[in-house]
Amino acid sequence: MTETADPIPVASFNQDELETPPLTLGQLTWRRFRRHKMAMFGAVVLILLFLYSFGGALVLSEKYANFADTPLRLSSPSLEHPFGTDTIGRDVLARTIYGGQISLIIGLTAVLIENIIGISIGALAGYYGGKVDALLMRFTEAMLNIPEIFLLIVMAKYFGGKIPEINMLGREFSGSVVVIVVIIGLTSWMYLARIVRAEFLSLKENEFVLAARATGTSNFEIIFRHILPNSIAPIMVAATLGVANAILAEAYISFLGLGVQPPTATWGNMLDGANNYLESAPWLWFFPGLLILLTVLSINFLGDGLRDALDPRSRAA
Amino acid sequence: MYHKGNLYRVFCVLIILGMIISACAQAATEVDVVPEKATAAPTAPPEKKVATLIYTQEFDSLAPLYTSMWFSWTTWQMNNHWAWEFDEKNEPFPRLVTEIPSVENGGISEDGTTITMKLRDDIKWSDNTPLTADDFIFTWEMAVSPANLVATTYPYDMIESVTAPDPQTVVVKFYEPFAPWLANLWHGILPAHILRPIFEAEGTIDNAEWLRSPTVGCGPYNFVEWESGSYARYVRNENYWGTPAKIDEIFIRFVPDDASQVAALKAGDADLGTFIAYSDVPGLKEAGLNIVVEPNGYSEWMFFLVNEEIGHPALLDVRVRKAVAMAIDREGIVRDLLGGIPKVPASFWDALPFYNDPPLTNYPYDPEGAKDLLDEAGWIDADGDGVRDKDGVALELEHATTIREIRQDAQAVMQQQLGEVGIKLNVNPVDDTLYFASYADNGPAARGEYDIQEWSDGPLFPDPDIYYWLCSEIPSDEYPTGENWFYICDEELDALIQLQSTQVNVTERKETFTKINQLFYDQVYIIGLWQDPDVYAVGSHLVNAKFSGVTMFFNIAEWDLVP
Amino acid sequence: MGRYILKRLLQGIPLLFFISLILFVLMMNTGDPVATMGGRRVTRSGDYERLRRQLGLDKPIYLQYIYWLVGNDWTKTDVDGDGIVETPGTRRGVLRGDFGISLLNRKPVLEVIGERLPNTLILMVASEVVIIVGALLVGIYSALRQYSLLDNIITALLFIFYSMPIFFIALISMYIFAVLFKRWGLPYLPTVGMFDPQVGETTAQILWHLVLPVLSISLISFAAYSRYIRSTMLEVMSQDYIRTARAKGLPKREVIFIHALKNASLPIVTVVGLDLPLLLGGAVVTERIFAWPGMGRLFLDHIDRADLPVIMGILMLVAVAVVVFQIITDIVYAWLDPRIRYEK
Repeated sequence: MTETADPIPVASFNQDELETPPLTLGQLTWRRFRRHKMAMFGAVVLILLFLYSFGGALVLSEKYANFADTPLRLSSPSLEHPFGTDTIGRDVLARTIYGGQISLIIGLTAVLIENIIGISIGALAGYYGGKVDALLMRFTEAMLNIPEIFLLIVMAKYFGGKIPEINMLGREFSGSVVVIVVIIGLTSWMYLARIVRAEFLSLKENEFVLAARATGTSNFEIIFRHILPNSIAPIMVAATLGVANAILAEAYISFLGLGVQPPTATWGNMLDGANNYLESAPWLWFFPGLLILLTVLSINFLGDGLRDALDPRSRAA
Repeated sequence: MYHKGNLYRVFCVLIILGMIISACAQAATEVDVVPEKATAAPTAPPEKKVATLIYTQEFDSLAPLYTSMWFSWTTWQMNNHWAWEFDEKNEPFPRLVTEIPSVENGGISEDGTTITMKLRDDIKWSDNTPLTADDFIFTWEMAVSPANLVATTYPYDMIESVTAPDPQTVVVKFYEPFAPWLANLWHGILPAHILRPIFEAEGTIDNAEWLRSPTVGCGPYNFVEWESGSYARYVRNENYWGTPAKIDEIFIRFVPDDASQVAALKAGDADLGTFIAYSDVPGLKEAGLNIVVEPNGYSEWMFFLVNEEIGHPALLDVRVRKAVAMAIDREGIVRDLLGGIPKVPASFWDALPFYNDPPLTNYPYDPEGAKDLLDEAGWIDADGDGVRDKDGVALELEHATTIREIRQDAQAVMQQQLGEVGIKLNVNPVDDTLYFASYADNGPAARGEYDIQEWSDGPLFPDPDIYYWLCSEIPSDEYPTGENWFYICDEELDALIQLQSTQVNVTERKETFTKINQLFYDQVYIIGLWQDPDVYAVGSHLVNAKFSGVTMFFNIAEWDLVP
Repeated sequence: MGRYILKRLLQGIPLLFFISLILFVLMMNTGDPVATMGGRRVTRSGDYERLRRQLGLDKPIYLQYIYWLVGNDWTKTDVDGDGIVETPGTRRGVLRGDFGISLLNRKPVLEVIGERLPNTLILMVASEVVIIVGALLVGIYSALRQYSLLDNIITALLFIFYSMPIFFIALISMYIFAVLFKRWGLPYLPTVGMFDPQVGETTAQILWHLVLPVLSISLISFAAYSRYIRSTMLEVMSQDYIRTARAKGLPKREVIFIHALKNASLPIVTVVGLDLPLLLGGAVVTERIFAWPGMGRLFLDHIDRADLPVIMGILMLVAVAVVVFQIITDIVYAWLDPRIRYEK
C-alpha cells in the first residue's frame, strides 16, 4: 500500500486493494443468470442444438439429405438410417440436420426483422411523442388487432410463390424461406414496439438525456447511443422469446401447408409431412417434434432466466 | 396447514365435479351408443338404418347448375337425377328417359343437331308434381339466363332451342352438330313448378330458398338439413317413383383433415370415406375396411409448353421431350409412392378404352436411351457443371404443381432422376388459387412461366372431348381467358380436335381419336404419371355399394347396412 | 368516464378503416376465386368471363373497395354482358350492414359467419374458463410452495406443453384417447365434430366432444398464465400490507384469497381481456383437426377459395371485437384499481 504524505488522501489509495471494481451490467447479469439452473440448462441445450444443425452439416452432405432412395421409403430407424427414412426414402437424420439449419435461421432472422421494425417504431414513437406517437401507435394497434395467425395465412398467400430460389451459405433453398421470415417478422413486431415505447417514454425525462441535449447531441445519437442501451433488458428478453415464437409460427404455418415448401426441409414441414403417418411411421414426427420441443423449451428457459437476471426486482434471484 | 387443506378441498371438489360431468356425458353417449349399434342391425327393434359418409370438403351449393364441386354432384344421385346415369363401368343407362337417344331409334337426327328424348311417364317430384318436359326446358332457360350466377353454361349455351311437343318428349336442337352431348347434358333437373314463379318475380333464381335447401327432389332420398360446417342429412323419399331405398337415412359429415378422416374411419365412426390417399390404404385395409377404386377419366399429367417465342428452346425438339419421358421411372414412382395401386397412363383416353384403340404403351424407363437422345439433339454438357447446355442456354426447366404431399414427393424424385441425365428441374410448388389464376390475373401458369405444368386432368369423361390444345385457346391480351396454357399450336392437332367435336357418328369419331392419340404419342406433348381414380373406403357394414366415375352414387337406393 | 368511453370509441373508427384497407389490399392478391369454380378442372373461359362480371371482380381494386364499403345500389351494373350498364346494383355496403354474399356459396356473409360464431364462442369460452381456473390453482400453489418438488415438476411439465406446437398435442391426444382407447376397450372420446349427428346437438354431446379440443388449447396456455399468476402472487405476497395482515392474525385463507389474490388479479384481467377477442380467431388449427364447425375453420376453408367477402367479414368482426374488448378491459381495470384514472 503506497500511502503518500499528501494531504488529500482519496485519490492516492490503490482502489484495487480496497474494493472490488464495480461490475458492469453484463457481469452482474451473468452472475444472477448463473444461479438459475433451468436457464443454464437451456443455454447448454441450445448450444448443442446449434452444433447439431451446423456441425452436423460437416458430417452429412446436403446431397445425402436430399437423396431419395425410394425403395427404402418409410423404413424404421436402423443402423444405416438412425432416424429412419421418410416417404420417399430420404434419411430423416440428415433432414433434421439441414432442416434445423433452416428452422434456426428462420427463428433468428425473423427476430432480427422484428427487432429492427419494433425498435425503430417504438423508439420514434416514445421519443418524439405527440403526433408522431399517435400515428405510429394507431398503426401498431391496427396491426395488433388482427390475430397473428390470420395475418400469417393472408400474407403467406400474398407472397407465396413469388420469390425464386436463393443460394446462400453454400446451400440452395426455396424462396419461401425468405417469405416466411418476412411474414413472421412483419406480424410480431408490435409487442416489442410497445415495450420499447414505454421504456422511452419513461427514460427520456431522465437527466442524462437532458444533459445530452444540452451538449447538442443529435436526436439520432440520443436515441441509439444513450436511451436504447438503457432499455436493453426488456428488448433482450423479448428477442429471446421471439425466437421461440418464430420457430413455433413456422411450424404452424407449415402445418397449414403454407410454409417452406419441400424439398427444402424444416422441422415444421417435416411435421406436416408426418401428419398421415402418426401411427404407421412415428419416427417421421417424433424426431423433428422432439427437436422443436427442445429448442423452444430451452429458449423459454433461457428467456425466463434472462428476465430474472436482468430485472432486479424479481425474487427468483 | 389450514390453506393447504383448503386447496386440497378445492381440488377434490373440482375432480368430483369433473367426474360427475363426464359420467353424465358418458351415460348420455352410452344410452345413445346403444341405438347407434342397433341402427346397424336391421333385426333390432324399430331402429333406423343410418349410413354415415365423410366428406373432406363441404359443398358450396346443392343446386344443379350452380356448382362444379364433386361433393355437391354426389348429392344429385340422392335427391335428384340425371336424365341418364352411368354405372360402375361408366356405361350409360336410362334413368328419366325411357331409352338413350341414338341414331337407330330416331333419338338423334341425321344431321346430328337435334336430340329427341322420350321421358318416362311415371316420374314425379317428392311433392307429387309430375316431372315433365317443362322441367327440362326450364333447366335450360335458367342455365343460359345472364341473371343467374350458375357455375357453367356449358353445354347449354350451344343449344338453339329446347321444345316439348308433348309433356313426355323433349327436343333439343343444337346450333352445330355436338358430339359430346351424352356426357354433358342434364346433370340434375330444376323443379319448374317451384322456381319459375321466383324467376318471374325477381328476375333471377339466385336467392331462391330451394337452392340452399332443396327439400323437393325427384331422387330416392329427400334433403332434410345442412348444418354448415358439421353435417348434412338426407332421409328416404317415401314418395319416390322408383324402387324405394333400403337405408333410412344418409348422414354426411364434413371432416377437412385427412388424418382425422382416417382416424374416424378406423374408429368405426363412419361407413364411407372419400378421396382416400394411397398411403392410408394399407392401414385402412388392416382396420377392416374395403377399398374401392373407380376410374373417372382423370390422371396426373405433365404438360409441356412448346412454343417458339416464350418456351424453352430445348422443348421445341421432340427428342428432348422423349428424353424427359424416358428419364423418369414412372413405374417406380407408382410402385413406391402410390402403393402400386394405380397404373401409369399411356394415353389421355386411358379410361375410355373405346377411344384408346389400339391402346398406346408407355415410353420405357431408359436413362441411357434418354442420354443418347439428348446428345443427338445437341444438348451436351459443355461447361461441365452437370447440366447440359447448347448455344449457351442451359437445359434448366421450370416445373410447377400445386401443394400436395404426393406431388411434392414425386417432384423430388423426378428432380433427382432428371438430374442424373443432365437436366436441371426447378420445382415450383404453388398454392392452387394462385396456380390456376387466369392470364388476366397474372396467373403464372396462364402466362407461360412454366415449361412443364402438372395437374390432374382428363377428357370430358365419359366423353372423349378435349379443347386445351386448340390454337384459338392460346391466351393473349385480346383473349385473356384462353385455356391453352401450353401455347401449343399444332395445326394438324388443332384440325383433328375441332373435327371430333362435331362427329356425332361414333365410328367416325373413333377414327379421329385414333389419329389424335397417335399424334400425342409421337409428339410427346404430355407425359402420364399416374391414374387418379376415385378411391373410397367402405366400412364393413355397408354392402351393395357400387360407384361410378361419372354419377358417383348411382345405385344408392340399393345400398344396405348389415350388422 | 362516459366521455372517455366515447372518445375511445371514436378513436377506434379510423383504426377500423385503416385495418379494412390493409386487409382488403392484401386479400386482393391472395388468389383468384373464379379459378377454382370449375371443380376439378380449370374454369372454362366463357364461364370465367361471365362469372367475373357477375361477381363484380372485373372492376379495379379501389372501385371494389368502395362497393364493399358503401354498396352499389346507387349505381348501375352490367349484368348480362352486353356492355350496356342498365341494372341497378343490389348491395348496400358494409357501412349499412351489408357484408355482401359469399363467393363460395352465395349466402349472405353475416349469415355464414353467424352460423359458426356460437360454436367458436362455446369452444373458446370453455377453454378460457378451464385455463383460468387451472392456472389460478396451479399458480397459487406454485407461489406458496415455491421450489418444492411438486412445483418443479409441474413447472417443467407446463413448460414442455408450452413449447409444443398445438397441432402436435391435438393429433396425439386424438390418437391416444379416441382411436387407441377404443381399440383397447377403454371408455373413449369421439374423434371429430361437435356432436354425433345421429344423436343430435345435445348439451351432453357437446360437452363430450369439447374435451379433446379444450384440452389441446388449454395445455399450451396453462404455462403462460400460471407462471404469470405465480410471479404476480409472489410480488404481492412480499408487500407490506400482506405482512401486516398476517401479523394481525388473519386466517391464511383470507390473506391469500381476499387480500393477495385480489391485488394480483389486476394484471390477469388485462391479459384475459386482451386474449378474449383473439380467441375469436378460433384456434384455427385445433378446429381443423377436430373438425369443429367454428370460425377458424370457416376462415381456412374460405381463404382457400379466395372468398373475399367472408374473409373480410371475419377479419373486421375480430378487429371490432378487439377494439371493444380493449376499451372494456381498460374500464374494468380502472374500476378494480382505484388508483388509476384516465384523465385528459
